[in-house]
Amino acid sequence: MDESRKRPRDRGPLSREDVTADSPFTLPGFFAELAEGRLTGAACSDCGHAMVPPRPACYACGSRAVAVEKQPRAGEVVSYTAVHTPPPAFEARAPYTVGVVELASGARLTGRVDADYDAVAIGDPVELTVRDPGDAELAAALDHETDWPIHVFEVR
Amino acid sequence: MPEPRIVAVGTSPIGRTDLTGRDLFSAALAEAFEGLPDPAEVVEALYAGNQSETYEHQIMQGTLLAEWAGLRNVPAERVEGCAAAGALALRHAVEDVRRGTHDAVLACGVEKMTAGGTAGATDALSAAFDRALEQRSGITAPSQYALLAQRYLHEHDATEADLARIAVKNHRNGAANPRAQFDREVDLDAVLESEYVAPPLKLFDCAPVSDGAAAVLVATPEVADALVAREAQTVAAGVGAAANNVAVAERDLTFVEGANVASETAYGEAGVDPADVDLAEVHDAFTVCEALLAEAAGFAPRGRGYESALDPGERSEGWTDVRLSTSGGLKARGHPIGATGLAQAVEAHEQLTGRAGGRQVEGADTALLLNEGGVADAVTVAHVLRRAA
Repeated sequence: MDESRKRPRDRGPLSREDVTADSPFTLPGFFAELAEGRLTGAACSDCGHAMVPPRPACYACGSRAVAVEKQPRAGEVVSYTAVHTPPPAFEARAPYTVGVVELASGARLTGRVDADYDAVAIGDPVELTVRDPGDAELAAALDHETDWPIHVFEVR
Repeated sequence: MPEPRIVAVGTSPIGRTDLTGRDLFSAALAEAFEGLPDPAEVVEALYAGNQSETYEHQIMQGTLLAEWAGLRNVPAERVEGCAAAGALALRHAVEDVRRGTHDAVLACGVEKMTAGGTAGATDALSAAFDRALEQRSGITAPSQYALLAQRYLHEHDATEADLARIAVKNHRNGAANPRAQFDREVDLDAVLESEYVAPPLKLFDCAPVSDGAAAVLVATPEVADALVAREAQTVAAGVGAAANNVAVAERDLTFVEGANVASETAYGEAGVDPADVDLAEVHDAFTVCEALLAEAAGFAPRGRGYESALDPGERSEGWTDVRLSTSGGLKARGHPIGATGLAQAVEAHEQLTGRAGGRQVEGADTALLLNEGGVADAVTVAHVLRRAA
């Protein structure tokens, strides 16, 4: 096992050696964790703010004292809409519902919502799930993205 | 510090055209330099606002447009910030003149959006969203703004009809603007009966896909006075810019903080208050944006920005008397992405020099420009323009 795998993931990547493709602070590392069913985020040690995906600095206070923290999958819908005019890669799925979800940690992220637009409301409880990308999504993926899972919120 | 003046402005036709990007620029430049010496005798540097190379498979826009203007071996570069590219170009020109780096700088913007059809524009614009989570969720520009609109209607005492009234007002303004892409008015029913693009936003809540270019010449007072009469000049009195997060989910959905910071900065530099602003060109890519920006700019109380469609006397207490989007806004004048921020400056310049024809705001002295890129306040650029005489 190389050195980077042994290093505890309790702080942001403050040295160049910390920035590796298996660190959740990078997108390859974040999606590798997600593919295994683990949703990771960063929590700011100074102000407590939670962010998904993890990143090297807190956007709420500017601190780089951020630590990787497993995120809850449960959250609630903050806003939502339906996409009627999709990008080419998503044509077959339209119309589909997308939303902004706030997780129980306070982190907010956008994702598809696996429900009809009319069946969703602000405040609905949802849970994050992951699946492999479909054929059209794979066709639109860049070479380094083909193993990255797609996250979808299911209404609970 | 020299006080930058806007000396001359021009636009190309805006809408679906058979012209390419460089041709559109030629048209805008021709109007701006009518009656002036050749650009090579005046312009010391060029900034070109341009959203995407995917439309025409062309980068190097700085070099290309400088060449088309007859400028050789001067600093020239493209600036990019999605739909804020035009105002970013203007900001660079203003800052260069302030610092004394150059005496005259050409800010221009161009976009040939119709090149790839609606699907091409949808795809090119989606590059402005976060690749990791937003793009891979199939998000589009209308759906991003629909997330803001849905939350706005949820939190405030506003309806889809209130947003539709903003579209009606801006089409009415656009019909009085010879530069506008759309020359006809629409009524409330037409907006409300148009198809949902991303609920609660309908087709008529959205700015169109447009080809177009704009050019704005910024210079020192000495150069400006040597070129045109003082009455034909305006002053770039204040500038502000702010980058917020890329992902919409991580921003305040009902208060565009970045736009608030940018406009407060520009007000501070110009020494004006929101109540001093006579007219504002705001980034109404979608109707809800005008409501949000009216609040962020300090024109309207929180939750009442949607009343921008009403005449000043009919608005809630706490509103200023500002007129919004007198050009027709992005909604009706058109939205050629990289040129939009400069098209806003063109409208304000015409208003402040008393040349806005049938849409003239009487006694207009001070204008605010708010140009945004990405979604909402991912990046915002604000300019305060004032009469020079």
